[in-house]
Amino acid sequence: MNLRPDEIARIRATLGREPSTVELHAFDAQWSEHCSYKSSRRFLKRLPTEGADVVVGVGQDAGIIHLGTHEGERYGIVIAHESHNHPSQVVPFEGAATGVGGIVRDVLCMGAEVIGLADALRFGDTSDPHRLQAAIAEGVVEGVAAYGNAIGVPNIAGDRYDDPGFDDNCLVNVVAMGIVKESEIIHSRAPRGSAGWDIVLVGKATDPSGFGGASFSSVALDADDAEANKGAVQVPDPFLKNVLMRASYRVFAYLREHGITAGFKDLGAGGIMGCSAEICSAGGYGAIIDLDDVNVAVEGMPPEVIAVGETQERLIWVLPPHVTADVLRIYNEEFTLPQIARHACAVVIGCVSNDKRYVLRHGSEIVMDVDIDFLTGTIHDELPYALRDALRAPQGDTDALRAPQGDTDALRAPQRRASRSAHWQRYDTSVRGCTVLPRDAAEAGVLAPIAGSRLGVALAVAGDPSIADAYQAGRHAVEEAARKVRSVGARPIALTDCLNFGDPTNPQHLGQLVEAIDGLADAARELGLPFVSGNVSLYNASASGEAIPPSPIVACVGVIDDIAAVRYER
Amino acid sequence: MSARAAVLIFPGTNSEDETLRMLRAVGIDADLVHWSRGETLPQYDAYVLPGGFAYEDRIRAGAIPAHDRMMDHVIAGAERGKLVLGICNGAQILLEAGLVPGTGAVRRPTAAFTRNAQRHFVSKHVEIRLAVDPQRSPFTAHMQPGAIIPAWASHGEGRLAASDAHLREIVEGAHLAFTYEGGAPNGAALDCAALLNRAGNVLAIMPHPERDGWNFNHPARAEGDDPLAPSGGSTFFRGFAAALSV
Repeated sequence: MNLRPDEIARIRATLGREPSTVELHAFDAQWSEHCSYKSSRRFLKRLPTEGADVVVGVGQDAGIIHLGTHEGERYGIVIAHESHNHPSQVVPFEGAATGVGGIVRDVLCMGAEVIGLADALRFGDTSDPHRLQAAIAEGVVEGVAAYGNAIGVPNIAGDRYDDPGFDDNCLVNVVAMGIVKESEIIHSRAPRGSAGWDIVLVGKATDPSGFGGASFSSVALDADDAEANKGAVQVPDPFLKNVLMRASYRVFAYLREHGITAGFKDLGAGGIMGCSAEICSAGGYGAIIDLDDVNVAVEGMPPEVIAVGETQERLIWVLPPHVTADVLRIYNEEFTLPQIARHACAVVIGCVSNDKRYVLRHGSEIVMDVDIDFLTGTIHDELPYALRDALRAPQGDTDALRAPQGDTDALRAPQRRASRSAHWQRYDTSVRGCTVLPRDAAEAGVLAPIAGSRLGVALAVAGDPSIADAYQAGRHAVEEAARKVRSVGARPIALTDCLNFGDPTNPQHLGQLVEAIDGLADAARELGLPFVSGNVSLYNASASGEAIPPSPIVACVGVIDDIAAVRYER
Repeated sequence: MSARAAVLIFPGTNSEDETLRMLRAVGIDADLVHWSRGETLPQYDAYVLPGGFAYEDRIRAGAIPAHDRMMDHVIAGAERGKLVLGICNGAQILLEAGLVPGTGAVRRPTAAFTRNAQRHFVSKHVEIRLAVDPQRSPFTAHMQPGAIIPAWASHGEGRLAASDAHLREIVEGAHLAFTYEGGAPNGAALDCAALLNRAGNVLAIMPHPERDGWNFNHPARAEGDDPLAPSGGSTFFRGFAAALSV
């Protein structure tokens, strides 16, 4: 557990009593850097997030940007971007696969169909004589491939750099993209008037895997903890996810037909507790959850493991009770979840309350009872940071990005990355039949996501670890991602970021994060592009205290009004 | 009433939507039939098994779904002459069900689509060539001899493997329906991309022509081509459509 003594004292003072074991684990997860962004939030505010085309901005599980109109219907692109760095360093295949699984759920829970993936990978020196780095790279690539291929979502963009600076911390950043009619977006909050509604848990049976994951990803990896850390990594099940996605698409259709507004949210860090607390507090409600009603894989798990463990392939619905039976029937009977994975199902585990308390029951006891806004509200760590002001003079050449189209060769930056076709070939890039530019055909991937429409969407990622200055690295990531999208004939419309940095308690490391954010913000403002989603991964420092190279990684979404205009080298 | 095709969804299937879209685009009246609705299959006139990882490719790709109850209906239909098309994972299932090359007993496979020579998944745009007399099967009756079809090879287990004697039988019995141009991307024996049964009503094809169905997803499209016009992959399905419209 990583709660600090001052944080425990604050919990004790607010509750007016000793916190229970379950409560301590709950706050440990919710107040981890991973969930709370406590040391980065004050700087992230500097990023531009507004724009006329932003449909859903930062703050929900995924952002949504307006793509265009087809047959009178407005369509949005749903995009989310996350890291799974620590898990991938410890257990590469599972860590990378669950990274894909998690980001796909973030897009799915907005009511979207998941249409594309991208990955940005940073490995150590893969020519090392011990083959450790090569083994990590191999496991990560196989993990990304195995998961994305099985669920049937094409991987269309990404990059990879190998650099000794990542020997102790590989980076696995994954981006998922979805499409949704803007009139059919589902939000990750309990809808207005939902007091008394059912809270329904869907998916894999809760097991002891992934217990302490949020907390584990919020400290530097230590070789001595290697075995213990493996238990914090989740276990992927893309086969179950394939079925869960399709069943959820069916539920979306059912809710549409019946005119029902519901809430839907992915279980990530903090497990059942984190998800149910956040979805209810976002609607201004509380929740009462009965842990005895959770479908578990093994009997006798302690309540804190059921509540906070990060078992994969789970989502939570907030549903009006009169439709609950039909939704359970879709998951459990039509899509036969209990036959797909042992003890998998959809089950009612509690209800929305209107008293803003978050209550967990287990056996005959109440094991948690706290103010829901205290649990999920913002917390801040005002950690000191050191900037290197001398290096801050803007040097980027964003004017080039405004050059008329048709001049893309001049815009294309020299590519440092080597050909990785043996790597990309493991990714299914054509499934769904919407691929216009597959992985590695050009600087960006392009999809035609709406059948019968000429609208196209482009996706690219960028971030060059050889740029040692964090501010310039941030600027470059934005400019390069936008340039890649433009190089295929698309108009950049939105950005996402994943900020991979060292230990925020080290002023130099935190200073790099701050500088990178300034670089991202300056470049994005100059290009008029909003950030619609993002993620921060800190504590990417080795046991010796060395941080990874500054790694602000940016994904850019672009729109193409007519896919006949897509440009690439034939 | 016109003939109707069922696109089967097993747990783990992932290519049902684009397969259905392609079939409808060439004029085939088709529905998705989910594993919990398998009892409706006998009312359909043709079956299409799309790509994916049915039952997670446990044991071998296709091995478990070949024993799914839905396949009882497909096998019975094939024996009565209904058209059956399997693409990628669907092809693996048909082979595991013994329907192709069909020289042995049902559910006693005589060959395998097994792990690629690279030992990993391969995603690659390919061209395949018709290797039998077009009149050999309704699926190919509309094609010119030696016709070339573009498609996406996208599989981890697509390498045809069989005994030398059985490979000879596959060639001599004209079961080798399509071969990869320029060599198989997966090390398949005979450069095999697709197998037919003896009667010609069951076709198992490893690469995905439906993923090269429109100009926009054809890599060699020319400037000025209408991106939404059908491309070479869609021509693959026209014999199937013609046979169902008779």
